[in-house]
Amino acid sequence: MTLLPYAHALVAREDLPIPAWLFAWGASIVLIASFFALSVAWREPRFEDDRRRPLGGGLSKVLLELPTQILCGAIGVFLLGVAVYAGLRGTEAPDRNFAITFLFVTVWLGFPVLGAFLGDVFRPFNPWRAVGRVAGATFSAIAGQRPRHLPYPEALGRWPAAVGLIAFVWLEIVYGPSGGIAVALSPDDAAVAALVYSGYTLAMMALFGVEKWCERGEVFSVYFGMFGSLGCFEAREGRLGLRRPLAAAARWATLPASAAVVVASIGTTVFDGAREGPLEGPTGTVGDWLVDAGLGEIAAARIVDTAFMLLCVAAIWLVYEIGVRGMATVRGAPPLGRLRRGFAHTLIPIALAYLIAHYFSLFIFQEQAQFTYLLSDPLGTATTDLFGTASGGIDYGVLSANTIWYVQVGALVVGHVIGLVLAHDRATAFWGDYRQAARSQYWMLAVMVAFTCLGLYLLSVANS
Amino acid sequence: MGSNLGRIALGIVAVAAAVVLFVVLQGDDGSDTENGGGGDAAVKVGTPPTGNGGEDEKAGGQGKPAVPTIVVRNGAPVGGVQELSFEAGERIRFDVRSDSADELHVHGYDVERALPAGKTVRVDFPASIEGLFEAELHESGEQIAELRIEP
Repeated sequence: MTLLPYAHALVAREDLPIPAWLFAWGASIVLIASFFALSVAWREPRFEDDRRRPLGGGLSKVLLELPTQILCGAIGVFLLGVAVYAGLRGTEAPDRNFAITFLFVTVWLGFPVLGAFLGDVFRPFNPWRAVGRVAGATFSAIAGQRPRHLPYPEALGRWPAAVGLIAFVWLEIVYGPSGGIAVALSPDDAAVAALVYSGYTLAMMALFGVEKWCERGEVFSVYFGMFGSLGCFEAREGRLGLRRPLAAAARWATLPASAAVVVASIGTTVFDGAREGPLEGPTGTVGDWLVDAGLGEIAAARIVDTAFMLLCVAAIWLVYEIGVRGMATVRGAPPLGRLRRGFAHTLIPIALAYLIAHYFSLFIFQEQAQFTYLLSDPLGTATTDLFGTASGGIDYGVLSANTIWYVQVGALVVGHVIGLVLAHDRATAFWGDYRQAARSQYWMLAVMVAFTCLGLYLLSVANS
Repeated sequence: MGSNLGRIALGIVAVAAAVVLFVVLQGDDGSDTENGGGGDAAVKVGTPPTGNGGEDEKAGGQGKPAVPTIVVRNGAPVGGVQELSFEAGERIRFDVRSDSADELHVHGYDVERALPAGKTVRVDFPASIEGLFEAELHESGEQIAELRIEP
């Protein structure tokens, strides 16, 4: 299949595959770390502890008071508005338009990393939550009663978010470029999608209630909140608290279909990494069949990419399911459903590691554009120079290939170890008997080793 | 019982998995790493995605420090997208000859060269950024080469 012509995609370079020796080192460290984890394992759960230490009253008050909330919400709404406006009115070149970089790089990749350290930072800035709350308050003031909502079908859990997550990534990497590099969705399409999503989200919030929908269906709240559950700050009952890092992850995964969200995140990233490498051949072949069958090239590419992306998600799901069913064979295991949900959070660090491994360099390079020319000339029409940085550009020299490699492999190894820690901890909570808990963890260990080695493999064959 | 046995079994499985992956990787990667050749422009004509084979006559000599030439016919590179490897700190050097007037653009480096119809144009600039870069034609929109700059 010939490559489709495309407008200039975002970052005009791709990472070199990691060299074989680094792959070998990474895989060895993963195995050694895994066995080390087995031998030093603790016997009492340490990350099931939901306690937190309230932080200094003054700071906590300032950060959580209503004016601050309104300010944060307004910032979120304003930035979304700028992105939509730039998308509709600005240049159609994705790399020169504020909308694409802001939505797909700064926000989409920034909040997971920020959240993993700090906690759920997105929540106060969530533009839809802000609008929904204002709408709710207005309704209450006028009608003299709180708005009534439909009961949310609890069995649905986080399925809407999981499906939405796949749809978002589909828009970014399947609908947009098909054949190009990184992000090449047209800014216009992105803006329209944002508007459609806003309408849908506000309608759902009106139906089921703002917080209910944010917990379960709003893609960005759920996705960023997932990574935020690893972080150490938390606002609850009007006070900011410091909690044990990672400890909130177990609580995050208590809703149905939480596992689907994590699996969707890993699966879509795997697809994005694999289609330039091991999947390049198969997608090309199947695409050719479809073209021969009379489909247009773009349609064929989209259909094939969609199918393979779903296959990747299904494959990740299968590996996790094998691990869950394996654990269920260990004496004293809780029911299957509880196991499946109960270990979902142990994959969050792996999902984060995949994100960092695949998009680290894109993020570092593209943020330079975000804070230079995209900030000063958001429409990309060379008509504005708001902050005097419109002539700036990306310095690709800031990252050497070696730096990128070490960050990629380091992220996978660290994510692997944290995943193991969480899984072991959960097992000690689920199995009263320590020996059985340890036995159940051979299965999760195999799952983690499989995911991490797959990650390393994808890094080593990308584009070669 | 099983604790030790299980650990050993798991170890064997894990090591086996790592070995298999390693072998797969070596198989895929071998042709890339052996093409050093010492010259500025060790050129490798990889398996082109378009598949219709045919190495360009000038690009044939493996490891020879000859400057590779990319021939463009009807807006597309003859023999598919050419893979050119360079080492960081050296110079990126290649020739392009197009049968129709076009403009070459090397992504990332943002190097642009006008390509008059039928003329051979020498492209020569320092390899200052590591990574994979695309060289494409503005008129036809086709990618003609992938530049691989290794540390």
